[in-house]
Amino acid sequence: MPQGAPPRPRTWWRTSLIVLAVAAFTVATCIPAIGGVELDFAAIAKNWRFGAEKIGQLMQPDWTFLPRTIEPMLETLQMALVSAVAAAIVSIPLTLWAARPTNPNGVTRRLVRGVINVIRAVPDLVYATVLVAVIGVGALPGLFTLFLFNLGIVVKLVSEAIDSADHAYLEAGRAAGGTQTQLNRLTALPQSMPLYANQWLYALELNVRVSAILGIVGAGGIGRLLDERRGFYAYDDVGLIILEILVVVIVIEVASNLLRRRLV
Amino acid sequence: MTLRLTAREAGLELPRHPSRVGPTIATVVVGALVVLSAADLDIDWAELGAIPGELARYAGLMFAPPSWEKLPRALFEMWRSISMAWLGAMLCVVLSIPLGMLAARNVAPAWIRLPLRGLFAVIRAVPEVIIALVLLTVTGLTPFTGALALGIAGIGTQGKWVYETIESAHEGSAEAVRAAGGGIAEVTRWALWPASAPALMSFALYRFEINIRTSAVLGLVGAGGIGSMLSNYTNFRQWDTVGMLLIVVVVITMIIDAISGALRRRIREGAKARGLGRTP
Amino acid sequence: MNAATPDAGVATAPASWPIRLEHVTVTYPNGTTALRDVSLEIAAGEMVSIVGLSGSGKSTLIRTINGLVPATSGTVTVGPHTVTGLRGRRLRRLRGHIGMIFQGFNLAERVDVYRNVLVGRFAHSPTIRTLTGIPTAHDRELALRTLDSVGMLDKLWARAGALSGGQKQRVAIARALAQEPSVMLADEPVASLDPPTAHAVMHELERINAEQGLTVLVNLHLMDLARQYTTRMIGIRAGEIVHDGPANEATDADFERIYGRSIQPHDRLGTAT
Repeated sequence: MPQGAPPRPRTWWRTSLIVLAVAAFTVATCIPAIGGVELDFAAIAKNWRFGAEKIGQLMQPDWTFLPRTIEPMLETLQMALVSAVAAAIVSIPLTLWAARPTNPNGVTRRLVRGVINVIRAVPDLVYATVLVAVIGVGALPGLFTLFLFNLGIVVKLVSEAIDSADHAYLEAGRAAGGTQTQLNRLTALPQSMPLYANQWLYALELNVRVSAILGIVGAGGIGRLLDERRGFYAYDDVGLIILEILVVVIVIEVASNLLRRRLV
Repeated sequence: MTLRLTAREAGLELPRHPSRVGPTIATVVVGALVVLSAADLDIDWAELGAIPGELARYAGLMFAPPSWEKLPRALFEMWRSISMAWLGAMLCVVLSIPLGMLAARNVAPAWIRLPLRGLFAVIRAVPEVIIALVLLTVTGLTPFTGALALGIAGIGTQGKWVYETIESAHEGSAEAVRAAGGGIAEVTRWALWPASAPALMSFALYRFEINIRTSAVLGLVGAGGIGSMLSNYTNFRQWDTVGMLLIVVVVITMIIDAISGALRRRIREGAKARGLGRTP
Repeated sequence: MNAATPDAGVATAPASWPIRLEHVTVTYPNGTTALRDVSLEIAAGEMVSIVGLSGSGKSTLIRTINGLVPATSGTVTVGPHTVTGLRGRRLRRLRGHIGMIFQGFNLAERVDVYRNVLVGRFAHSPTIRTLTGIPTAHDRELALRTLDSVGMLDKLWARAGALSGGQKQRVAIARALAQEPSVMLADEPVASLDPPTAHAVMHELERINAEQGLTVLVNLHLMDLARQYTTRMIGIRAGEIVHDGPANEATDADFERIYGRSIQPHDRLGTAT
């Protein structure tokens, strides 16, 4: 090194510590005795043809099956929309309570965050399975599942975004003598609308994808038809259904991209 | 001192409010769609009132008290799910970073970019269970299949996040490398990658968090792990064990979320300190 | 900018208040002492500038007056009210009488100018009104009039983020005036503005002080603005008052003492309009 140059910071030990930890964790996940996954690359080498064949079957959809898919698909879309809107409405106050700038009260904030974290910790299909066993088969468990699923995602992501954004205007509102509620309702909420809109649209997209599966456990939507056809090994029908889901998801994605640009 | 004059009387000229027609129509349309959808769904809305009572009853069956008898087996299966999630996340990240980079507007030309983005969209639209289904014929109904399914299924969303991050990397450093004579490889390695690395690492951790949940889902359809245990005991309606399983899932998922969240926060703060803009 | 005539324009303000600091010390939780045993008295209706470098404590000082920064010891009095020790509703009510504008304007960028000015009515209107977003006729009048008095009425429905720096600061002044304040605080109001705009905003503050007799306290770090627009200048350095006298009598030597270094070109603003 040239004379007078500062010494190179020694962070190599921290990097190697991280790499070591990751490697050790990975090894631990591959030990079947404690519940790890047994890696079976040999099977891939031997059987990949079957997979390719299956993909081929899926890519030849049976178009005559289309009419039978319309009603279940409609149910999926309706579940997705209604639960997304219901969750959007409920998410507004919950998010404001969960974020620091809009809720300086640490106790209520941590309470809301805690409840949301518990809600998020349960996978969507688990909700669906349990709710189907409790309420019965149909669209209602699906609605509840999607509602909770959306709420968890929106509140968490939007409150984190609010936490990390700048809120200089809040100081002016406080200096004028406003209460936190006034500040939130009239300044913080309009300022945070793009963050909300972003996540609401994302939740809607996710809903369509997820509600397609919920039917597998009986929670309504096209998933039930999908599972049924799979059970009959009718992969051409399965392929058609997947194609439909694909089209719907892409349409919603494009629409939400357009909307996002207009809303911001 | 109060003012009693109206604006008109005092001669103030107020500019017109920008048209509210557009947003109003949009709200009415969405509202109508929602109401129609709700009405069309095959739900007995009258029964809705009885639901809270039913839920409370089942909650009692599950949690008052839960049965800890099968806890060791639950933990074993939970580790299985975590392993599937972890290996799946690693596979997904390893595949999605190069593929995502090639799908970025500032890296690759359209004839590479668009097919890749199309591939991501297709994978995104296909439910993980279908991917698991296809893999089943190759690797059997095992956790390994679950891990592979998670890895491949995640590429759809992960790849999208990768190219979105790369595209939003600050133009300045890329311009500097190009001005110094660097080609696309140099720009990627020396400008785009350092700028995007914190965000990408953060997304990788988030992928792990998502996978923990999805692996439970795969378990429900047979890949093993805590999901299959949940499915069995729910079908047998052994609610006290189901309650215990839910507690295990929630607690462990929350712990992993907390650790991952803390790591992501540190990464985000490091990125902020270096002026790298938005990191998830 | 339109100059409104006193009786048809902005309502004549309630009586303006004096400000008093007695042995005020502010130490932040991280240990830094921003103000050391500061005492000063500002009479009602004075236009005072506080001059000092960044980090000298002037931001802290101005914020002790409306309680945005609590004083660690000492007493702050504004008019008939003691600020130190006030909390909750009483503090908010007091703040309703103290208008403040900031270097960063602190407007809600996505919200229109009208609603930004209505922020000034938070402490004066019932919560139900603010929650539903429907202001009283009185609040509406005030917002419109104060906007008109700073010449920004034509931008009533524009998003605050679409305005230039000078326009934003004028909207901020309207917001503060809408409070019908007895004291006006300005924390580095022109530091982010170019010279002509800075002069325009300072002129606005001067006009408010002259026409309404409002007590105005301005933080500045540029010497010529202090000399030109204010009647009394207080110099602060490292948390202590080092100068207090008529602004137009301040010499370059005084400034060098306040800054703790010799004067440089960037300490002067430049040509006025």
